[in-house]
Amino acid sequence: METEENNMVLKIAALAEKARDGNRMSFQELVSMFQEDIHRLVYYRTYSQMDAEDITQEVFVQAYRKLKNLNDTERFRSWLYSIAVNRCNDFLRKRKFLSLLQFRSVQEQEFMDAGKGMNNDYNEPIAKKRFWEQVRSLLDKLSVMEREVFTLRFMDQQSINEIAAILDKSESTVKTHLYRALNKVRKDSRFFQEYRESMS
Amino acid sequence: MKSQNQAHLNEEQILRAVIDEKDLSGEDRQHLLDCQPCKSKVALFKDELQELGDDARVSVPPLTKNISLPGDEATAVSYKSRWLPSFGVAAMAGLVLFFYVLGLETMSPKFIALQSPEDLLEDEYLMEDILEMVENPLSGSMYEITGVNGGFDEEFLQFVVPDVQDDFQSKLIIQGGIKQC
Repeated sequence: METEENNMVLKIAALAEKARDGNRMSFQELVSMFQEDIHRLVYYRTYSQMDAEDITQEVFVQAYRKLKNLNDTERFRSWLYSIAVNRCNDFLRKRKFLSLLQFRSVQEQEFMDAGKGMNNDYNEPIAKKRFWEQVRSLLDKLSVMEREVFTLRFMDQQSINEIAAILDKSESTVKTHLYRALNKVRKDSRFFQEYRESMS
Repeated sequence: MKSQNQAHLNEEQILRAVIDEKDLSGEDRQHLLDCQPCKSKVALFKDELQELGDDARVSVPPLTKNISLPGDEATAVSYKSRWLPSFGVAAMAGLVLFFYVLGLETMSPKFIALQSPEDLLEDEYLMEDILEMVENPLSGSMYEITGVNGGFDEEFLQFVVPDVQDDFQSKLIIQGGIKQC
């Protein structure tokens, strides 16, 4: 299992190295490998398909332009994720700023922005819509950093080591935020009902 | 001997085990290996977190756009920039050439030489007739009918259109007559 993962890391590093040397096909291959993951990562933070697609596009364009600055190609994956996370934070900051200008609450602004998404409205099945509402209410309980590590760990399914590299923090800092996040979410979310029952 | 409840991991330890079992002390880690209830609590929380992640994964709408790289745009632009100006220049050159040739044909001596001296003389007569007609649009007999050359005598004209001064004086006489009455 670990060997398989190591092989994957080496394959990605080799592709990143070729892409850094100007091989477009290698970069295209990296795009194919990561586009779904990055799109999901962005969607978990914006809840809007249209914004998620636009930001995913921007992430890969930025990665393509800055690839020559990446020295350690074995870190390509965490480097790409960090670009995506930063892009999302920029986008959310901008959205918050716009909501201030337009005298709308952040939730209203998010709702309006999300309405622009193709699948966020009537096309989206009610179950999915309800699911995302519950996820949002769960994540709203957390601070920015707690939300970030929680999302990266359990939704983007990154390891602690990878999260530390993405956020440029130490592993112990990541674990501390993760602990605080779990401590908050375990209390009153339907997602962890069985666990709560087992503890009572 | 400790009771089993006292030996169980507390919630903080369970959460730490969910995050990373290596963070537990050696004793607690050993307990987790041996104690089925504690193991199942950790497993249950991990499973629920995993389920949340899996549900999130399948609830994301699929990516519908293709990712295009800067080079792709550049290629598209260069394709346009290569063909559009070339096409424009070619079209302009064609038009200039067309009008140039047309102008040469019109001004060429060959085109002028096509007209014979007889034709030119005939044109000259025609122009004279036209000028005469502009100056005198009617023939002599017609002018007599119209009276433009003084066909009416003065008395008849005075009768039809009396002078303004005469008319004014007659009005005054009439008005004075009325007053006298």
